[in-house]
Amino acid sequence: MQFLKPILAIVVAYLLIKLGVPFLGSLMHPGTWPVVPSAVMKMYMAFIILGTLLSYTYSEEGYNALIGPIVDVYSNPAKAAIKFGLVFVIGAFGAFVAYQYVKPTFDPPVELRSVHPAPPSSAELWGKSFQIQSLKNPLRDDKANFAKNVEEGGAIFFKNCFYCHGDKLDGKGHFAAGFNPLPANFTDVGTIAQLTESFVFWRVGTGGPGLPGEGTPWISAMPVWHTLLSEEELWKVIMFIYDYTGYAPRVTTEVK
Amino acid sequence: MKGRSMATRFITDKLGRAGLAAFGLILAAALCAPTQARAASGDVQNGAKIYNKRCWWCHGKKGAADGPAATFLVPPPRDFSMGVYKYKTSAPTTPLPRDEDLFNRITNGMPGTGMPAWNDVLSDKDRWDLVAYIKSLTDLFGKEANPPALDFGKKKMGADMVEKGKKAFQDAKCFECHGQAGKGDLTKKLKEDSGIREWPRNLTKPWTFRGGNTPEDIFSRVTNGIPNTQMNSFAAATTGNGKLSEEDRWAVVNYVMSLADDSKKVKDGVTVVKGILRDALPKDENDPAWDTAPSTAYFLVPQIIQKERFFTPTNDGLKVRAFYNAKEVAFQLEWDDRTKSMPGDPVAESIAWDTLTPDAVAVQMPIGTFTGNEKPYFGHGDTSHAVSMLYWSAGTVQAPNAAKLFDYTGSGKREEVDPKTAGFATSASYKDGTWRVMMKRTLTTANKEKVTQLEPGQYIPVAFANWDGSNGEAGSKHTLTTWYWLLLMPPTGSEVVVIPVVVFFALVGGQLAAAALMKKK
Ligand code: HEC
Ligand code: HEC
Ligand code: HEC
Repeated sequence: MQFLKPILAIVVAYLLIKLGVPFLGSLMHPGTWPVVPSAVMKMYMAFIILGTLLSYTYSEEGYNALIGPIVDVYSNPAKAAIKFGLVFVIGAFGAFVAYQYVKPTFDPPVELRSVHPAPPSSAELWGKSFQIQSLKNPLRDDKANFAKNVEEGGAIFFKNCFYCHGDKLDGKGHFAAGFNPLPANFTDVGTIAQLTESFVFWRVGTGGPGLPGEGTPWISAMPVWHTLLSEEELWKVIMFIYDYTGYAPRVTTEVK
Repeated sequence: MKGRSMATRFITDKLGRAGLAAFGLILAAALCAPTQARAASGDVQNGAKIYNKRCWWCHGKKGAADGPAATFLVPPPRDFSMGVYKYKTSAPTTPLPRDEDLFNRITNGMPGTGMPAWNDVLSDKDRWDLVAYIKSLTDLFGKEANPPALDFGKKKMGADMVEKGKKAFQDAKCFECHGQAGKGDLTKKLKEDSGIREWPRNLTKPWTFRGGNTPEDIFSRVTNGIPNTQMNSFAAATTGNGKLSEEDRWAVVNYVMSLADDSKKVKDGVTVVKGILRDALPKDENDPAWDTAPSTAYFLVPQIIQKERFFTPTNDGLKVRAFYNAKEVAFQLEWDDRTKSMPGDPVAESIAWDTLTPDAVAVQMPIGTFTGNEKPYFGHGDTSHAVSMLYWSAGTVQAPNAAKLFDYTGSGKREEVDPKTAGFATSASYKDGTWRVMMKRTLTTANKEKVTQLEPGQYIPVAFANWDGSNGEAGSKHTLTTWYWLLLMPPTGSEVVVIPVVVFFALVGGQLAAAALMKKK
């Protein structure tokens, strides 16, 4: 049974790459399953098979132990049935692999987009110029009216945003499924939690069409809010989405 | 750093869920015991606290359904100050719902409405506390105990029950509202007791049932009706006078479940219209040949992006198929629409609330040859990327079936193109609550810069739009899809068969030759 060992080693290595790597990845990024790309997979497997065969056939007896049973099956008349079975299975397997290569695949093109592209240095909204880097939310200083501003921001959210971004701010509004990319999930650590208020102001104010090319503005359903809301309303709704989710806006000016 | 915090988050998350699940199990066990309603012991104060963070935006500060979001929703939020609930499993003799009904709606949400499922952010206890709180918003419930559950009798499922249910569907005149094929193509105007317009459910889409789509859920609806709507209780000892006996109610449940049409359900990740090569294109929209083409279903969402925004759609999906040959492409567009809206049509005129406009549908693709990654803006293109639109309108009874071809460089910026330049022609028919429209056009045109050029094997962005004329939809008031893809599937070459066969024989031959050599040795 010496010759089963290398086969077993190869199978284990395959499973480790095929399932183990994505599993580790899923621990690091819950909800994802990052498979190893098939081209990389093929390269790894070629090295593994080559390496295993080399190490097992290095010595004379290793070579014989590996090759002996094979020669036996192919040449021993008593094992003719097994031989023909093997011949057929190997042929069929080869045909299957060949089919996988030549069969047409129809995967639509993937549209890569940068979710948080660098904002322009300034934006022209309501006929006024805003310097994005140095922009501050003026309402944050008004501590006395904080609760009132947040509540008004909530009312703006529930008139303008919830049907996409969700009643729970989880990106699952009742019209969300019709859009791709999906509306942002504000409760996720990957959106407003890692953004500055000025960045969010720019994103909300200029919407999908305001994105630079790498942000694929042509598919974003995010409306251009400066055409529908006032400057003060924008700041209020931004305060609300932070308050409701319990995140604090990022304070550094550098944007990821 | 980020990775670590995510991993810990993952673990706590899983533990949290396990804990919740265990809690749920204990609770379920507690529920099975013949207990009084849980809400009776609910903490009204805690319920109020959660309500004031999460629910009032729609249901209003005092539960009067007048929160800021209310006017943007069809159906509108439930008015808790009235105490009228639509989805109840209590006995038909009481107008009150059971505590479990409220709990289940809060837990599972109501598909197709603004009411989401809250089980992912609120614990079981919080949800029971909410039940206690919203019950306290009206004095209808008083100090009364949880009303008794309705009698489910003897549940029966099976093929013979479907047959029986088909008859019960006629006896009870379900078709007057839900249509002969169950698609909600009503024959009369319906309104809720509160006066607002209502549409019967499309029974072929059980994933849109708001009170759940298990046999028990549907049995409860038929037995109790839907309070505040024109769907009354059908419960009676015997079938007759539009009422149904218990057995016939189970039969009609079987029938309703048999109507489900999964081909109209949007499948995750299925985004491509696959055009199939076929020498003879279908002759019209109802040609049986269409059944041999794969279909793709898309969500329709209202135009809520640019002025004038529109929040109250009726149609929710579109199903598309395509064939092509050396010269032409043909699309079949199919969608459920409760009304055949054509000015001049007597039924449609009698159901419409606003001015009746014609139903319409449109297919949008980038103009010219689509080469790169940069698509036009999905809403009618933009100044640097124009789109071409194939537009069909039901027209009027006097002048039905109008086909038009447009170029757009942004919303409202359009130019009409002669449809003949693309051989653009349409045919359409409406039957049992479903429109079918066929659009045909040539693959390429002489005016290349005015119309989309279609090439087999290329992925071409495609988007759709739809207008329901009985819902006041016209101009920018309509439903739409985002960009998806059209692929005219290239015929598979012979190499797909030949190469695997050659490999097979080479391997078999090689092995046999090697075996012969080994034997000689
Ligand atoms: C028609 C649906 C729709 C509506 C309505 C809508 N959004 Fe969006 N929004 C989106 C989509 C889709 C995205 C993700 C694509 C993108 O980044 O542009 C998004 C992204 C965002 C982002 C960017 C998040 C990030 O991580 O970069 C913010 C902030 C945002 N929306 C805020 C709002 C606010 C505030 C409102 C209401 C005033 C609103 N949105 C209304 C669809 C919508
Ligand atoms: C974004 C709006 C929105 C929010 C937020 C919301 N609801 Fe609703 N709710 C609705 C709508 C809309 C309906 C009515 C659906 C219908 O008529 O079919 C509804 C219906 C209900 C019903 C009635 C079910 C019946 O059988 O009649 C209950 C109970 C309910 N909601 C509880 C809650 C609670 C509790 C919360 C907060 C945790 C909440 N809702 C938050 C929109 C909302
Ligand atoms: C008078 C008109 C009318 C008749 C008759 C009628 N329905 Fe309905 N039905 C409605 C309306 C309206 C709704 C949707 C109510 C709403 O959206 O609030 C509905 C909803 C439903 C639902 C969906 C419930 C859910 O959870 O979403 C089912 C199932 C149903 N009806 C079955 C039937 C059956 C079976 C019959 C015959 C026994 C019947 N209906 C007779 C008007 C009617």
